[in-house]
Amino acid sequence: MLRQIWIVSALNFKSLKSRFWQSMVIVVGLAATIGVMLSMLSVAAGMRQAYYASGDPNRAIVVTKGVEQEGQSTIARAQAPLIAVAPGIAKDKDGKPLADRTLMTGVPLLRKDGSKGFTSMRGLSEKGPGVRPELKIVAGRMFQSGKRELIAGVGAQALFQHMQIGDKVILPDGEWPIVGIYETRSQLDGQLLGDTETLLTTLHKPAYTTMLVRLASPDSLDTFKKAMTTNPALSVDVVRHSDWYKRVGDQTTFALALLGYVVGTVMAIGALFGCLNTMYSAVASRGREIATLRALGYGALPVAVSVVLEAMLLSVVGALIGAGIAWALYDGKLDLFGNVVFHLSVSPRQIELGVTWAVVVALLGGLFPSIRAARRPVVEALRAT
Amino acid sequence: MKYLPLVWAAWMRKPARAILTLLSVTMAFMLVGLMIGMSASIDRIAAMTRSDRIYVNPRFFGANSMPLAMQHQIEGLAGVAKVIPVGEVWGWYQNEKNNVYVPFGDLRGSRAEWPVSAAQWDALKATPNGLIMSRLQSQRWNKKVGDTFTYRAPAFDKLDGTKFWSFKVLAITDDMPLNPDGYLFGNLLYFDKSRPLAQQGKVGYYEVMVADPERGTEIARAIDRTYASSGLPTRSMTDKAAFDSGMDNGINVGAVTRKISLAGLAMILFLTANGLAQSVRERFAEFAALKTIGYSDRVVMLLVFLEAALPCLAGATLGIALAAALGGQIPKICPPGWGLPVPVMAPIVYLFAGAGAAFIALASTALPAFQLRRMDIATALSGRK
Repeated sequence: MLRQIWIVSALNFKSLKSRFWQSMVIVVGLAATIGVMLSMLSVAAGMRQAYYASGDPNRAIVVTKGVEQEGQSTIARAQAPLIAVAPGIAKDKDGKPLADRTLMTGVPLLRKDGSKGFTSMRGLSEKGPGVRPELKIVAGRMFQSGKRELIAGVGAQALFQHMQIGDKVILPDGEWPIVGIYETRSQLDGQLLGDTETLLTTLHKPAYTTMLVRLASPDSLDTFKKAMTTNPALSVDVVRHSDWYKRVGDQTTFALALLGYVVGTVMAIGALFGCLNTMYSAVASRGREIATLRALGYGALPVAVSVVLEAMLLSVVGALIGAGIAWALYDGKLDLFGNVVFHLSVSPRQIELGVTWAVVVALLGGLFPSIRAARRPVVEALRAT
Repeated sequence: MKYLPLVWAAWMRKPARAILTLLSVTMAFMLVGLMIGMSASIDRIAAMTRSDRIYVNPRFFGANSMPLAMQHQIEGLAGVAKVIPVGEVWGWYQNEKNNVYVPFGDLRGSRAEWPVSAAQWDALKATPNGLIMSRLQSQRWNKKVGDTFTYRAPAFDKLDGTKFWSFKVLAITDDMPLNPDGYLFGNLLYFDKSRPLAQQGKVGYYEVMVADPERGTEIARAIDRTYASSGLPTRSMTDKAAFDSGMDNGINVGAVTRKISLAGLAMILFLTANGLAQSVRERFAEFAALKTIGYSDRVVMLLVFLEAALPCLAGATLGIALAAALGGQIPKICPPGWGLPVPVMAPIVYLFAGAGAAFIALASTALPAFQLRRMDIATALSGRK
């Protein structure tokens, strides 16, 4: 059986040249569909990666009970020491717990094109760099605790005006100079960082936003969480940092991704009809050839399978071409959406998705023509011109 | 028009091919309708934004931090006609995913374009815990007039110590394109009196109406200058500026939708051109016969053009109709809070579709028409290629 399929398919592909332009209809259709879909998804995928990279499975974030957004959380000053002494937190070389009292707020800035924008400004306390080892200073220096200084992320530098070392950012009590540029390879790169306590004073805020702790080991989350949730003095939620950002990333990119899939579906349906068209034509033009094969004794199934295989070959080729174009044009490009600076992503996983869609379109587009090829009475086909 | 029966006969030779081509073309034009329609919708909303309404927000983020005293101060500035304080509470309804944002204020002064009657504004003023919702919001939360609406706001403190805000639905109003998700609002006094004593007398932002729309941006800057060195610096933007900067945040919708539409049309161009070329090739002898009996080259080319134009026009019409129908369903299937504008079949959509259909028909005709002109009638009549 397999041998029959192989022979009939090989014969099929050899005669493909005579149906070149028709076959190109499938290739062009899938190339356009998958190309457009992957281009659109590259934005959502890139953003999601930037968010995922912001969370670390070795960290846990402590927020006010019930809030879904970091900015809405508050941790009172009195609660911070209670959280820092909890079990499960990693210790630095001095034996002090790696717990960061953070602040998160917004700061208005001018975008490069002159329009008004804003980005997040975070406060790090003295254990901040220890909790965030991925933070690297790429120019200038780190801000000093107690001083009115800021550092800007590489993304913020790309997005906004006046983000060079020495430039000043206007805060309520005056101008703060930028003393360094940092990189974390995550969504944090589009933001500004400063010292928590100094910022709290400047912004007249009475409480921290969240606590970010480094876990002693990824498994210590449960210990830490139990200590936090059973403490009557606290009303907090504890979430693994990577889980937190996974949720935020998924939620933020959901609609973007949905748009990509909707457009992809509409185009795929258009391509499907084109595929049906081409395969019906192909089967019709191969009418005598198929009839001869069947008269010789080849089964109907190998004939049908060869039709579907032809459709699949063409559509996968088209999908790979489309994916290739999307990859060449967009993969890795720096882009921004809101205040998130990220790299567009056309990853192998997405290319795989494109190919899968192509196979599905080919299956659906080749099925009915293949049935017709298999069922057409041999005598009638032999007679046809 | 006497040629139409000929053209129809040509198409109906292979009904399957005709129908499949039509379906493909329809899908492509449905995509065009949805994409260009969405872009047109955003353009329409942009045109409706106002230069005579200014939003005065705190420069540095802090929910409900603006003292009510500012109202009189801003009213005293030159060119200001009305100042309306607005409290804000955001939270979720039943499930953390159901985001709810409620502004509290007597917005009849600044939102005259909202379809809310004077009687309804008065009813809200008279009923402190009243809430007015638009139809989309009432459908989402499944509420009718007289129902109670309660949502949870973990980030906001209340006098009674709870986190629940409870309202009675007073009226359900019409929706506007400017708020694709619908809108709702409450009574400022209720908001203020529900806050802890220390936080009363403060609102989230101000809506300022100016007498002369030409001076909107200038007055916004004047407001910011007034408070620049105060304890609460402001950031003021006209409604128009706020919309423009919000749109900048994301993607250039116009360019992206046009690119997607063009990709879809390119796919179809290939399909129709190929189908037509094939159809003409199959009927070479027929065209030769027509030429023999005296049809001029011009008429023959016209026949070919009509054969291409028929599915293009029919497909374009069906596609746009489908886009109009589907577009209306978007608010119902879109997840809440994303505010995707409903595609509107503005004149630009018809223009784009019409131009696209015409171009595809013409481009598809080019090669076959050229071949027909050059053909050797005798050879063609004999049936040899």
